[in-house]
Amino acid sequence: MNFELERFLEAMFERSPPFILEHLQLVLIPLGIAVAIAFPVGVLLTRPRFRHYTGRVMSIFNAGQTIPPLAVIAVFFPFLGLGYRPAVIALTIYALLPIARNTLAGLAGVPLEVKDAARGMGMTEWQILSQVELPISLPVVMSGIKTSAVLTAGTAALAALVGGKGMGAVIFAGINFFRMELILAGTIYIGIIAVLLDRLLTYIEGCMAPSYMK
Amino acid sequence: MLEKLIQLHQIKKVFPNTNIPAVDEITFSIEKGNICVFVGPSGCGKTTILRMINRLVEPTSGNIFIDGENVLNVDSDELRRRIGYVIQQIGLLPHRTIEQNVGLVPRLLKWPEAKITQRVVELLEIVGLDPAESAKKYPYQLSGGQMQRVGVARALAADPPIMLMDEPFGAVDPIVRGRLQDEFLRLQQEVKKTICFVTHDINEAIKMGDYIVVMNGGKLVQQGTPMEVLSNPVNHFVKDLIGDDRGVKLLDLTRAESLMTAVTESPAAANDCFCFIDAIQPVKMALEVMMKNDSDMVGIRRGKNVVGTLSWADIKKHIHKISGDQE
Amino acid sequence: MEVISSVLKFIVNNSSRIMEYTGNHLSLVLTVLVFSLILWIWVGLLISKYDRFANSVIGLANILFVIPSISLFGLFVTIPQLGLGRKSAALALIIYAMMPLVRSVYRGVKSVDPWVIDAGKGMGLSPAQILYQIQIPMAWPVVFAGIRVAVVMITGMATVATFIGERNLGRLIHHGITRGSAEMIIAGAVVVSVIALMLDYIMGLLEKKVTSPGLRHRSEDY
Repeated sequence: MNFELERFLEAMFERSPPFILEHLQLVLIPLGIAVAIAFPVGVLLTRPRFRHYTGRVMSIFNAGQTIPPLAVIAVFFPFLGLGYRPAVIALTIYALLPIARNTLAGLAGVPLEVKDAARGMGMTEWQILSQVELPISLPVVMSGIKTSAVLTAGTAALAALVGGKGMGAVIFAGINFFRMELILAGTIYIGIIAVLLDRLLTYIEGCMAPSYMK
Repeated sequence: MLEKLIQLHQIKKVFPNTNIPAVDEITFSIEKGNICVFVGPSGCGKTTILRMINRLVEPTSGNIFIDGENVLNVDSDELRRRIGYVIQQIGLLPHRTIEQNVGLVPRLLKWPEAKITQRVVELLEIVGLDPAESAKKYPYQLSGGQMQRVGVARALAADPPIMLMDEPFGAVDPIVRGRLQDEFLRLQQEVKKTICFVTHDINEAIKMGDYIVVMNGGKLVQQGTPMEVLSNPVNHFVKDLIGDDRGVKLLDLTRAESLMTAVTESPAAANDCFCFIDAIQPVKMALEVMMKNDSDMVGIRRGKNVVGTLSWADIKKHIHKISGDQE
Repeated sequence: MEVISSVLKFIVNNSSRIMEYTGNHLSLVLTVLVFSLILWIWVGLLISKYDRFANSVIGLANILFVIPSISLFGLFVTIPQLGLGRKSAALALIIYAMMPLVRSVYRGVKSVDPWVIDAGKGMGLSPAQILYQIQIPMAWPVVFAGIRVAVVMITGMATVATFIGERNLGRLIHHGITRGSAEMIIAGAVVVSVIALMLDYIMGLLEKKVTSPGLRHRSEDY
């Protein structure tokens, strides 16, 4: 096979762009849902009432991460059929683990003496959470969300297998027809999406940190 | 004439990307069997000097001689295996047992295993640890004071003639520190190492030092015995460092042996003594014993031998000397 | 729980095929692991020695890691010297293993307390002795965590290599999708996950073996 600039440009600027929006949806929607579920669960699991479960839940989460992404994507398809919905559900589940894990790890990593000092100054549990624990664990929590975002951006390419479309459609077309320029174009767009998301999340983290510290 | 074991000649160190020398043309020597203490505020260059002796830092200019041999001509690893090294952070290998930590240098020197095992037991006993209990433990299982003891044992392992000690008792609480200092002085009586000791604590310097080198800003400010430094501070810096309680420091920190009249000078006096203290005990112990026994003189013992005498008059004379220029 | 029984039935009825796929899967994972360990641990050690390259090498590893696995497999297939099959699959997986391995070796070596190294130097350990007797053993726990991540990841990603002709457990999932067969997909997913968990478990045992008790208990002390 030979690489031709003309065909690459065609792939970059004509074949792929229609899939950008789809791919973004395949990343942002699962990510949003995953944050909405995993973050509160992570917070809840570090509260005193559940704290002794933290270790066990962590190991379940770790075990969950051993399930290959292809398996996660494929497993829902027989029950929910082809299409966008099963892809979103699968990607959501895939995105959950890093976020929950890091929320848990971040909150569990807040030094006990800091919490003790806060309690000693008369802060309520809620104040300790919002003014002490969350700001301190923010970098760890955010890095979980970033990991999730980058992984989901890549894994979403597999969604095309179950009719979820996205940039994966371009890549699989490239594989099936041995067209390197299609694979390359799809990959470049996914890379751009991943990098931009990472930057965006870093920016959001930067905005949150000082306001939290006030 | 005592032998000068370590000699520094116009040693200068300028670290990269700095203009001010960390150590500025320092010349002095350390006598064999002495504890020489470098004292001064942080950043005065005392640690750098220490680290130049075993070539962890290479001097910008000048020469260091150990036993007449220029250290720059010796392979640096070979050199360091012949010099004990103790630091405040201790730096025990966390993944090795106490036994393995202490046996590290002998193993580097390829001693036979049986000899190493025997030496480790001996050393742990010397530094006051129970070999049976602690040999198989890992560093995290020890207290700070115990770890410092292991650090000292490890440095002594290959019986090096020279020891470099950088704030060796700095990480433990004052009570443990005092005990470790006392034990170390006692140990030094037996092993007679040549020791370079770094501290920022003037009290520790007076207590531990046979000889004190006061440093500031990379320069040597004053050197001399603790008595000399206490009685004759050369400038305000040294005066401030010592503080106003020089008389108390003399009683509290100076070892009895540094004020005593040697038995060789007046053999008759020693025969009159009926109460004794140890040579490394502080001068205040002499006072205490005199008061208890209603005597105005104590004998100074090193081991079983009486090596000198110290009288109430001697002590008073020294205190006068110290406070003489204070008015 | 009809699904479970039909999955079990599928596994029993197709045991010889599943065994073949499992064998292929494991041999790919192990091949990749061996090459990755040799290559990336060495690179990790190199960049911890020559620090100025560390950022760019780890940055490169991160970028490569972001490339979707299917893309990298696909791109390698189109390179004539590699073509369909094992060579492309192995190379792609080795590249993915770079990130966890290089980074963990670098972090592990850098996480060693500098004062322990200073004490080692001061006692006259040569640079090689410091590396082998201090830095590497003390870095083990961190390095091993990276190896475990890499093993689990390679096992999972290897499934995707089915699209470039690997006859491994991914094929069950792949064919399950094309035939709309739930039990095939689930069987594939379950067997792969079990293998990943088992490999992780074995690595865990190994980690305990090679990690000094002095390091293992360290965190429990506080």
